[in-house]
Amino acid sequence: MTRPTTLAALLTKELRLRLRRERTIWVMITYLLVMGLLGTLYISRSGGYNSASVSSLGTGLYALLVFVQLFLIMFITPAFTSTSINGEKERQTFDLLLCSRLSAFSLITGKLIAGLANALLLIAASVPLFSLVFFFGGVGPDQVLMATLIFIVTAILVGTFGLFCSTLLKRPAVSTAMAYMFCVIWVITPWLLSALLQLNAPFGGGPRANLLFIGNPILALLSTISFGGPSIGTSYPLFGINLAPWQTYIMVNLLLTVVLVFLSMWLVKPDPIGRLSRRMEKRPAKKKATATV
Amino acid sequence: MIKIQHVSKHYRKVDALNDLSLEIAPGSIYGLIGPNGAGKTTLIRILAALLTPSSGEVWFDNEEVGKTPTLIQRKVGYMPDFFGVYPDLTSVEYLEFFAGIHGIARKKQASTVKDLLELVDLTTKGDALVESLSRGMKQRLCLARALVHDPEVLLLDEPASGLDPRARVELRELLRTLQAMGKTIIISSHILLELAEMCTDIAIMQAGRLVVSGEVEQVTRRLGGGRQLEIRVLEGVPETVQVLKDVPGISNVISENGDLLQADFIGDDRALHGVLALLINRGIPVVSFAPRSSGGRLEEVFMSITEGSSPS
Repeated sequence: MTRPTTLAALLTKELRLRLRRERTIWVMITYLLVMGLLGTLYISRSGGYNSASVSSLGTGLYALLVFVQLFLIMFITPAFTSTSINGEKERQTFDLLLCSRLSAFSLITGKLIAGLANALLLIAASVPLFSLVFFFGGVGPDQVLMATLIFIVTAILVGTFGLFCSTLLKRPAVSTAMAYMFCVIWVITPWLLSALLQLNAPFGGGPRANLLFIGNPILALLSTISFGGPSIGTSYPLFGINLAPWQTYIMVNLLLTVVLVFLSMWLVKPDPIGRLSRRMEKRPAKKKATATV
Repeated sequence: MIKIQHVSKHYRKVDALNDLSLEIAPGSIYGLIGPNGAGKTTLIRILAALLTPSSGEVWFDNEEVGKTPTLIQRKVGYMPDFFGVYPDLTSVEYLEFFAGIHGIARKKQASTVKDLLELVDLTTKGDALVESLSRGMKQRLCLARALVHDPEVLLLDEPASGLDPRARVELRELLRTLQAMGKTIIISSHILLELAEMCTDIAIMQAGRLVVSGEVEQVTRRLGGGRQLEIRVLEGVPETVQVLKDVPGISNVISENGDLLQADFIGDDRALHGVLALLINRGIPVVSFAPRSSGGRLEEVFMSITEGSSPS
C-alpha cells in the first residue's frame, strides 16, 4: 500500500511544480509555433495547392514535420529529466526524500514519469498539426501511429538517460550537457562510422553493417515513410521474423531504457559502491555456507 | 534507548568520527556540542542512515540501523541544518507531499497536516507559498515536516542557527512541548547556553571524539564548570574571603555590596556541604548560602576543552 501512495505523492508534487512554472507554457507555445511555421513555409515554397502532385506534397510535409519533431524531442526532453535528482541535491531536499518511505523504484519512476509527462504533452499537442498532412494525402494513419510510437520511445530513452546522468553526476549543468552529448553521439555515430568505413549501411551494406543502425531514430523514422516506393532501410531477422527498423528500434531502446532505470535505481541510494562491494562479499560467504552444509 | 557503539567514520584523509559510543535514553533531549569538524553532523547523518559508518553499530531499541530496512523511515524524523524546501509549494502542499512519501494515506493527510500546522503555530500560513515565509516560520515548517509521520526520535541539526531571539524562544518552547509528548530529541547546536537550558543530557565532541557526555549538571560539574556560590554574612567579610580562598575547588572569590560574597565552586554536593560546615566551624555568621549552577560556565568549559577553537 505504501508504494502507490509515495509514488502518487511524488508525482503530484512534481507535476504541481513543473506546471506552475511559466516556462512550461512558453515551451509548448514555441514548440507548436516552430512546427507550424516550418510546415506553412514548406507548403508555400512548394506552391501550395497548385502543386503538381498533392500527395507528394503531403509526404514531404510529413517527412519535414517528423524530423523536426524528432529534433525537438531530443532537444527538449533532456532538459526535463537531467536535473531531476542532482537538482534535489542542489536544493538540499534529497536527504529528506531518502529519509522517507520513498523507494528507489518510486523515486526514479516518479521523476521519470513527471519529466516525460511534459515531453508527452508536447507530442500530444502536436498531433493536430500532423493531422494536416491527411488533407494532402500520401500518408496513412498507420505511418503517423508508427512515428508517434518512435517519438514516445525516443522521449522515454532520452529522458531516462537524462535521469541517469542526474543520478550519476553532481552538477546539474554537467548532467544536462552529458545528456545532450549522448543525443548527438547516439544519432550521428552510426552515420559517421558507416561513411568512414564505407559500409554503405543501412542501404544494403549487409547484416553486420546494418547492426550499426539498430537503435538509430533517423533510420527508424525513414523506415515508416514511403516516398512513392518501398520503405527505406533494411530488415532485421529475429527468430525467423523479419523486423522493420522501427520495430527493432523500439525493442532495442526499450531494453536500454530498462537497463538505465535499474542503474539509476542503484545509484540513487546512498553509498552505491559500498553496497555493491558488501553484496559481492556476501555472495562467497553464502556459497561457503552452502558448501559446508 | 538509542545505542551508539564504537562508531567511526573515516574519509580518505579525515577521521570524521573516532570510536564514539553513546547511550541516549528515551524521552530525553540530548545535545551534541562541538566546534566545526567535531563530527556532530556526521553523527546525526549516521543516525539518520544517510551515512554508513566505517565501523561500529547504531541500535534503536533492539533494531540495528542499516540492517532493518524501514527502521529509520518509521522511527526517525530528520531536520538537517538547511531548510530543504520547495519554494513554489504552499505550506499545506509541502506537508502533504511529505505525508504522502511517508506512506500516510491520502484520507488522513489533511487532518495530519492541520494538526501539525497548529502545533507549529502556522495555521494562518497554510495557503502561503513556502518562499514567502520568514526564516523562523520556515524552520517551524521544517520541524512540522520532520514530525509528519509521528516519529519516536527527532534528529535536529543546528535547528536554531540563523534564527532571531524570538524565533529561538519559540523553537525552544516547541521542543519542550515535543519532549512532553514523549519524543526523544537529539539536537546539535553551537548556542551552548540554549542547550544547557533546553537539554537533559549533553555530549561534548572534539575532532570526531567524544570528550564527555551525561546529564547537563553532571557534565558541567565533572569538567570543572561547577557552580557559583553566593554567601551572605552578618560580619567578618575579609576573614570569610580568606577562609574560602584556602578551600580546594573554590576560586574567584569577590565581595560585593559589603556583606555579599561570590565565588566559583568546583565539586559535588558533599564538597559543598564541607564548605558550609567549615564556615560554621570557623564561627562565621552565615546568613545565606546559595549555590547556583551557571549556564555561562558551560561556555567556558566548552571553550577550554575544545582548545579555544570557535564554536561551530
